[in-house]
Amino acid sequence: MSWRSDLIDRRSFMRAAGITFAAALAPRSLMALERSDAVYASGFRAPDGSFGIATVSERGEIVDRITLPARAHGMAFSPVSGRIVAFARRPGTFALALPMAGSGQPFMITAPEGHHFYGHGAFSPDGRRLYASENDFDGNLGVIGIYDATDRFHRIGEFDAHGIGTHDMAVTDDGTTIVIANGGIETHPDFGRTKLNLDRMEPSLVLLDARNGALIQKHALPPSLRQLSTRHVAVGDNNRIWFACQWEGARNELPPLAGWLSKGEDIALLDLPEETTIRLGNYVGAIAVNRREGLVGLTSPVGGAAITLDAKTGALLKEEMVRDAAGVAPAAQGIAVSSYGGRFNQTRSGVAWDQHIARIT
Amino acid sequence: MLKTFAAAAFAAFLSIPAALAQEETLQPTVPQASAIRSVVAKAVDDFIRPGYRSFHGAAGELAGSMETLCADPSPETLAKARESFSATAASWARIEIVRTGPAIEKNRFERILFYPDRKSTGLKQVQALLAKPDESATSPKGLSGKSVAMQGFGALEFVLSGTGSDALASEPDSFRCRYGRGVATNIEQIAAELVALWDAPDGVQKAWKEPGPNNPVFRDEREAMTALLGILVHGAEMVRDQRIETFYKGKDKPAFPKQAIFWRSGNTWTMIEGNLRGLQDLVKASGMVDLLVGYQDTIIGSVDFILTSMLRVTGQMNESMEAVVSDERQRQKLDFLLINGRDVIGRLNDDYGGAIGLTSGFSFSDGD
Repeated sequence: MSWRSDLIDRRSFMRAAGITFAAALAPRSLMALERSDAVYASGFRAPDGSFGIATVSERGEIVDRITLPARAHGMAFSPVSGRIVAFARRPGTFALALPMAGSGQPFMITAPEGHHFYGHGAFSPDGRRLYASENDFDGNLGVIGIYDATDRFHRIGEFDAHGIGTHDMAVTDDGTTIVIANGGIETHPDFGRTKLNLDRMEPSLVLLDARNGALIQKHALPPSLRQLSTRHVAVGDNNRIWFACQWEGARNELPPLAGWLSKGEDIALLDLPEETTIRLGNYVGAIAVNRREGLVGLTSPVGGAAITLDAKTGALLKEEMVRDAAGVAPAAQGIAVSSYGGRFNQTRSGVAWDQHIARIT
Repeated sequence: MLKTFAAAAFAAFLSIPAALAQEETLQPTVPQASAIRSVVAKAVDDFIRPGYRSFHGAAGELAGSMETLCADPSPETLAKARESFSATAASWARIEIVRTGPAIEKNRFERILFYPDRKSTGLKQVQALLAKPDESATSPKGLSGKSVAMQGFGALEFVLSGTGSDALASEPDSFRCRYGRGVATNIEQIAAELVALWDAPDGVQKAWKEPGPNNPVFRDEREAMTALLGILVHGAEMVRDQRIETFYKGKDKPAFPKQAIFWRSGNTWTMIEGNLRGLQDLVKASGMVDLLVGYQDTIIGSVDFILTSMLRVTGQMNESMEAVVSDERQRQKLDFLLINGRDVIGRLNDDYGGAIGLTSGFSFSDGD
């Protein structure tokens, strides 16, 4: 996910208690919010085993939280409408739309019969449409569900994602292109989270015309990398699309774990140093771009690492050991990182942060 | 692009933020690598490999029973075939919790058991086959090209216990019987593959027992232990989510007794009991309690206690799933199984996983 300039007035956002998750904020929470240049949202699991999403200050302090019926995964945020949507972790069938500013009630979105959410989605730039990655599990097809954000998130159609195991997705700034990461792994809710086709995966990166779903380009990976699951994407400057991968092949191989592409161009795979690839455990769980500073952040819970790249060159700028590194997001300065162990930037809280962070202001 | 970076230079980039200093005080006791190796080796040698061998043996007996039934149909040989089906299903249930490695390659898992089958795909295909016989379905080779739903236990259950199955007791060498024999032989052959793959000294067992930088499956002991705990956690989730919640999701919610696995043959509880025994046996056989220190060993004691309680209640369930969901006392027992199923998942995932340092017990096996 990438940070964009505020389209709703930040002060009114804050004053409206910004986060209307629950009741009025406690003074301590308000203070944390007021002194924060950045506000994030992330899913978490509480010590009692319940799940929810929380808003978090720049320092990582929890501002507010709401309980969810099950574990959330990715989030979509619209700076225009001030809404955030938290998607259930695959193979979940719900997504919760929350008003982050102004009035309104939380709204539950349910996946249609025969589909489940894959855990990610994105708003159109005008905030009027919500796109969600979904699994048509009987057809074994990845699709992008289209929901009318102006009409109680009524489902108005779907696009073929042109792949299986559709996971993360994004929309370019001009709203014309939907970017899709098809992980290539077949799953079915009847078999839980079991990966059914690791011996015949079909990962791909796809660009669709957001107006009509027409396929603009599709990039399959070469045969030697067919077990490289392309899972997460983030849009950077000039619509450069960064992607991050998880290797399902032999653990003693060191495949590329990230790369980028642009419309009309082939994919470029990042040639990270071997030590870094090892440190990432062949698994990147989240990716984010800080456009203002030209940075890309990657995290790996498997390897316990967070790394920062130069968004222009792909050069490695920083490598940090973060045990159970989970989410990553553009910070006011640098890259924000959370962990399963409760770390969020400089703060450690008594929750386990989930895999993704959305920056909401 | 960045290959020129010397390894030493990376040390300069590595930074450990102050927040981690706080985390250090909360660290669990991470077991020695050698201790993990011992646990994983015992899991492989004392649970997984014997489990597949036992399943192979039972499947061989099932194929033999089907052979006898086809050659000498009688109420007795039909009863024997049905008994063999139950015994083989129980044997599979015990080892099916291992949803990793060769079992999930080449569609072996779905070929052995395609379930849940919400749209009754298998039932429709088997009924169509029986209505219009296709001789190629009577051999494992011919079956291999057909739908996975026609190749395994689900299909054989309908052959032996579905509508019209009583005719098996009187009609010699019927198509229905020969198809069932083909399915049983197919299951036996897949079981033989699993035994061979796990018994090969340089194969998957070596990958589990000897983690390391050159190992194609696990780079270190922590990864192997994560996979082992994953078998238990995901196995416990399977019992709750796919064996029970498929037909019963709780009080005041509609029940679907005909969605229960093997309801026709009265083997629903055979499967659930087998799954629970598999979980309990794996916990014991692996000696995973040895990785805990001090009072933490009570985690495994609690897991064993809960699984024993669940097994006791499973033994009190009615074979008829219609009767189960329509009887308040039986439904209460289902609630007991759901609640305790959730509890055992938490104790394995959170308590045990946390105690040995697997990502604070949260999402230790897949960040997604």
